[in-house]
Amino acid sequence: METAVEINGIKKFYNGKVKALDGIDLRVGAGKVFAVLGPNGAGKTTLMRILTTQIKPTSGDASIFGLDVMKDDSETRKLISYVPQEMSVWTDISGYENLLIYAKIYGIPAGERKKLINGMLRTMGIESFAGSLVRNYSGGMIRRLEIACALIIKPKILFLDEPTIGLDPSARKTVWEKLMSFKDENGVTIFFNTHYMDEADIYSDQIAIMNAGKIVKLGTAQELKHSLGGEIISFGIEGKISAGAVKKIRGIKIVTGATADENGLRVFASDAGVALPRITDILEKGGVYIKEVSIKKPTLDDVFLKYAGTKIETAERVTDIRYTRDRIKR
Amino acid sequence: MIAMMDSLRNILVMIELEARRIRHDRTELYVRAVQPVLWLVIYGSVMSSVKLIPTGGMSYIAYITPGVLLQSTAFVSIFFGLTIVWEKESGILKKLLVTPASRYSIVIGRSMAAGVRSILQAVIIIPIAMLIGVAFIPNPAYFILAFALIFLISAGFAAISIFIASFLKTRERFMGIGQAITFPLFFASNALYPIELMPPLLKEFALVNPMSYAVDAIRGLLISGNISNLAFDISAITIFVVVMLAIASVSFKRIIE
Ligand SMILES: Nc1ncnc2c1ncn2[C@@H]1O[C@H](COP(=O)(O)OP(=O)(O)OP(=O)(O)O)[C@@H](O)[C@H]1O
Ligand SMILES: [Mg+2]
Repeated sequence: METAVEINGIKKFYNGKVKALDGIDLRVGAGKVFAVLGPNGAGKTTLMRILTTQIKPTSGDASIFGLDVMKDDSETRKLISYVPQEMSVWTDISGYENLLIYAKIYGIPAGERKKLINGMLRTMGIESFAGSLVRNYSGGMIRRLEIACALIIKPKILFLDEPTIGLDPSARKTVWEKLMSFKDENGVTIFFNTHYMDEADIYSDQIAIMNAGKIVKLGTAQELKHSLGGEIISFGIEGKISAGAVKKIRGIKIVTGATADENGLRVFASDAGVALPRITDILEKGGVYIKEVSIKKPTLDDVFLKYAGTKIETAERVTDIRYTRDRIKR
Repeated sequence: MIAMMDSLRNILVMIELEARRIRHDRTELYVRAVQPVLWLVIYGSVMSSVKLIPTGGMSYIAYITPGVLLQSTAFVSIFFGLTIVWEKESGILKKLLVTPASRYSIVIGRSMAAGVRSILQAVIIIPIAMLIGVAFIPNPAYFILAFALIFLISAGFAAISIFIASFLKTRERFMGIGQAITFPLFFASNALYPIELMPPLLKEFALVNPMSYAVDAIRGLLISGNISNLAFDISAITIFVVVMLAIASVSFKRIIE
């Protein structure tokens, strides 16, 4: 398969000290939807800005469809489209005019522009607001207009930095449906950053979990979930579990991981039915009283919690607030 | 060659963008015309009756009209940098930089976009000056050249503001610096009084102040009809604009880091 993105040992230090990326290696196949999932400050935006030729890495190299993003930057820019994390349309002209300006910058011939723009507005479902000032658009409409600006040039690869952040669930769904139908028609490669698990889960072919400038886990959503073992057993307990007991539980053959804290114990196992009696046995021998037990299939949240070591939801709100503030500045 | 054509096209697109913005909202144009008109109507009339300043035979209001026009040009262009700061805070500049448009065509295009505003500003101010009795040289060629010069120097002032925007993080700070630049440009020039009247130090500043050359050129074209210095003035203005655009293009890199 053709390679859309290749990244070798990229590091980025801002101002020589803030370590934003700490050695990234990655390969994305053409025509795939690739998600980078990570909490605030993980380095997602930094990576995307390097890939879109805006900033240079401190070391390492990267290429887009074989073009070096540093040496062949102007050639690279002809293949890519980019929607930044912050709002990126002019609010004091209309949606149609925003598309017109971009169509002209990309040199789309005068005879084709009008048809192309109107078609794109229709695809994105904002044709009835084409002539209104963008200032009067809702957040979801602005995002769809931004994506329209990115798609109108039929890029080979589309970079989306948190395409649906700050949108309500139904607006998020619309944005993704439009993106997916465009992809099915045009076979574009999509590389996106997100911290919405469900988005990565449903829409991506491959996911990279990123934390503190490193990719901590890579795979399809299925592979990532399986990597935790088939099932998660959660125990509500009374009494303290000794480190020895946790170690013993980890030692059970079909158990792939176990974590304990004051609220309880979580065990990853390929077969909960087989593991459960043995765990109960160890806990009871250790003098721990089991209040409740539940068994579930792992979700991406669990994967994220295990590999990134933090829960993503807590971090999420901060960016949402910042984003909203960015949006209302003018 | 193709690269040149692309750059030219992108410069025109940036100018078109500004024209479209103005078409949607003209209030700023009118608001910004108030101050220059007050200069002419109030300051101009008062000083005319005092007759303190040697103007070489013209009425004092006519004498300051070119300076007031160019002050409004400088103001509009320098505060144009505010737009760039806003575009930097939002994602607009990031997105523009990922298009095939070359960085310098973005800088030159954005700078010249300020020229559109300056020209429209002049179109408002000149008829008002006529109303209060300023006599213009009725030569269309001179008018066209004067407008071209206003457009050109406007790009130079806007380039200064892009340069400032490249190291200022907030719009509030920008406001302050903008004031601090436009005032000396205006007062330490021949806009309101001849340079010969100034104390030595100020005189030297006025002689390197691009505003002085622009005022001299516009005064010759529109008011006195004496264009003996014109070639020299145009060269000075052109050098200023080219140097500022070059500086702005280089500093533009810092905007995005
Ligand atoms: N221009 C910059 N100058 C200095 N430090 C920066 C700059 N941009 C980002 N950083 C720092 O680099 C780190 C990675 O930031 P980055 O924006 O890439 O993270 P992110 O994963 O996109 O986060 P978020 O979810 O908040 O968008 C953070 O510590 C951030 O503070
Ligand atoms: Mg980010």
